[in-house]
Amino acid sequence: MAAPNCWRCLARPSQRLLAPTSTSSSLAVPVTTATFSTSARLAKKEGGGLSSHVRTGKKLVLGRKKKQDPGKPVLPGERKAFRKRIQLSNDNALEVPGLAQVTAATLVDPAAAGKIVGLPDALIDQLRTVEAFKPTQNWGLFRSPHMLVRQETVDLIKDMTDKVQKKQTVRTVITGERGSGKSILGLQVLSAGLLNKWVVINIPEAQELSTAHTDYSPIPKSEMFSHPTYILKLMQAIYSANKDILSKLQVGLEHIHLPFSVPRSMSLAALANATKEPDFAWPTFHALWQELLLPGRPPIMFNLDGLSHMMRVSDYRNPAFELIHCHDLALLRLFADALGGKTQFPNGAAITGVMTKGNCPKLPSVDMALEQAAAAQAGTEIPARDPFYRKYDDRVFDALKGVSVFNVKGVSKPEARALMEYWAASGVLRMRVDEKNVSEKWTLAGSGVLGEMERASLYVVRL
Amino acid sequence: MASKVNPWGVCRSLCIRSRPALQCAERRAALPLARRGLADDTTTRSDGPNANASRPPPAKYVRPPPEHFADNWLNAEALAKLEQAAAGQDLFDEDPGHKFGMPALPGKDDKLQNRYPTVIHQITRLLMRDGKLSQAERHMSLILNFLRTAPAPKINPLRPLLPGSPPPEQLPLNPILYLTLAIDSVAPLMRIKNMKGMAGGGNALELPEPLTARQRRRIAILWILDVVNKKKSRGSGRTQFASRMAEEIVSVVEGKSSVWDKRQTVHKLATAARANLNHPAIASKRGRR
Repeated sequence: MAAPNCWRCLARPSQRLLAPTSTSSSLAVPVTTATFSTSARLAKKEGGGLSSHVRTGKKLVLGRKKKQDPGKPVLPGERKAFRKRIQLSNDNALEVPGLAQVTAATLVDPAAAGKIVGLPDALIDQLRTVEAFKPTQNWGLFRSPHMLVRQETVDLIKDMTDKVQKKQTVRTVITGERGSGKSILGLQVLSAGLLNKWVVINIPEAQELSTAHTDYSPIPKSEMFSHPTYILKLMQAIYSANKDILSKLQVGLEHIHLPFSVPRSMSLAALANATKEPDFAWPTFHALWQELLLPGRPPIMFNLDGLSHMMRVSDYRNPAFELIHCHDLALLRLFADALGGKTQFPNGAAITGVMTKGNCPKLPSVDMALEQAAAAQAGTEIPARDPFYRKYDDRVFDALKGVSVFNVKGVSKPEARALMEYWAASGVLRMRVDEKNVSEKWTLAGSGVLGEMERASLYVVRL
Repeated sequence: MASKVNPWGVCRSLCIRSRPALQCAERRAALPLARRGLADDTTTRSDGPNANASRPPPAKYVRPPPEHFADNWLNAEALAKLEQAAAGQDLFDEDPGHKFGMPALPGKDDKLQNRYPTVIHQITRLLMRDGKLSQAERHMSLILNFLRTAPAPKINPLRPLLPGSPPPEQLPLNPILYLTLAIDSVAPLMRIKNMKGMAGGGNALELPEPLTARQRRRIAILWILDVVNKKKSRGSGRTQFASRMAEEIVSVVEGKSSVWDKRQTVHKLATAARANLNHPAIASKRGRR
């Protein structure tokens, strides 16, 4: 590397910079300018010596702050997009050959329990549109999305599909410890619905609807409130995830209250896609829901993640500045009625609410209602409410009346082994997968709680 | 070499038996302890010849006759062992009582806190703000995850990494190595020690000083952190800091980072200042020693 100072001459760098050198700029000056000038201003500009103060550069200036280049400003929505970005593939990870793709039959096959299956591309697109993937899940560590078919998955989905095929309504609440794979089980339920060609509606995060971060407006001639923008987005998701099914169905009811004409020849896909106006979002969505409830339609799958967030008083206010109960928000009431069994589904339906434990408000009503539902399911004595607690919410008890509670626990050791073998084959887990290591991680993870198994084995430093 | 007489051998033989231990008559009888009554005074007791006379002499030990083919479990075990040997299996292979064998014992200098690789441990502590170690650990973990998912770096031949480093395609799957390589490659070898007033006229004498591995890494991490803290964030949430830091590490490996310039400056200064090691003030000191 050349030294900044000239070795030969003893000039200081400051002197050297002031001294004329044979650079192109100094050569260019005599060519472009005349040898004399009548304009003092021009001469000044070229010379540059007279315009500034004589002592410029020799004065000591303290406290002048350099202005830093602020760079490109962060656009609105860019930070949130960064936070919510979901990466589903990692080209560095190795491809795991020999794994089957998931089908509708796989998810109900007892022989497939404990196997890793891949998700086909069409299903990935559909799941993406219904927002079944979450940013906190580690899809991005692997080459392509794969999931473990657990014994619980097969049990739940087999029971669900059998009943829905008999045109019954299955109302399930998925609970379990934190990190035990409730949301992934919800994703598997959604993929079963999509693979079975049911009409799938998914609310990915109930918290978005109850913490007053989404716009809302009162519904005329009703005590309820709707989320216009959110419902528009939801209808877009319903449209793109169920396009094939909805485009084959025709409108069967009169919808005179809608601001646009709905002829009988219109398909339900067109109805779902009919409006871009937030004002008409709720009426259109309600019309679509009424259409789907007609006999002869395909079964409905309605999922909601973060069930506890919709079982409380929301942070929204009504015009009298009182807090609104979540069940007075139209979309959430629709789900609560479906889950509580108030809505009749003539074509069969699977209504699933997934509890959340990581970020969960403390709700004694929900706990008691789920305990009672679990006791009723097991046929044991139904526990009574605490007589000294007066804040029980009867609407919560109504919404959870008669649901079947599905408790997700840790995976078994063979399932843990299948999972760890997949991780190792992907190159993410650098460890010999033998009986000892599987046992060790399984035990460290509190008898195979999936999230804890990831923490114990996938991360170098605990997350 | 470890001595054969160590406490661990004893610990191994201490095991819980579900069945009663074999009654061993020999050991129980063979303890020649002098008996003392409760009222005997320990200080004034005299072990005279008449003291022994009151006690009956110990009975002579008679060895019981050996019971061949007795119905005891040790025989059954031994027979099982013999059968095992006959089947061609190794007798001393298994470790009864431990499904997966004994765990490896911690080394002499191992501590509970040293559960992570050295570099990871050091970076985590340097990332920590306000004593929030677990937050720093989460950052560390997310940084490693980011390195795993980022595309493989393109190495700049002008900024070579440490010799013997693996090809860049292999780095993302080994994020610890990736991180260690980045930090060890930009770490400066020397630092400049300023000896106050030694150059004469109140000027400091600059002397180069070699650094230990830990010190070198510390300086490199702090340089990287300086750059990261000045970088503008374009995201939000928990991965925000980690992705900024990881991007800087990738740019270090790719030779784009300004940290390389800092390293070069320090090395150049140190090269220039090595002439000062012959300065009379230093040389005389060295001579005195």
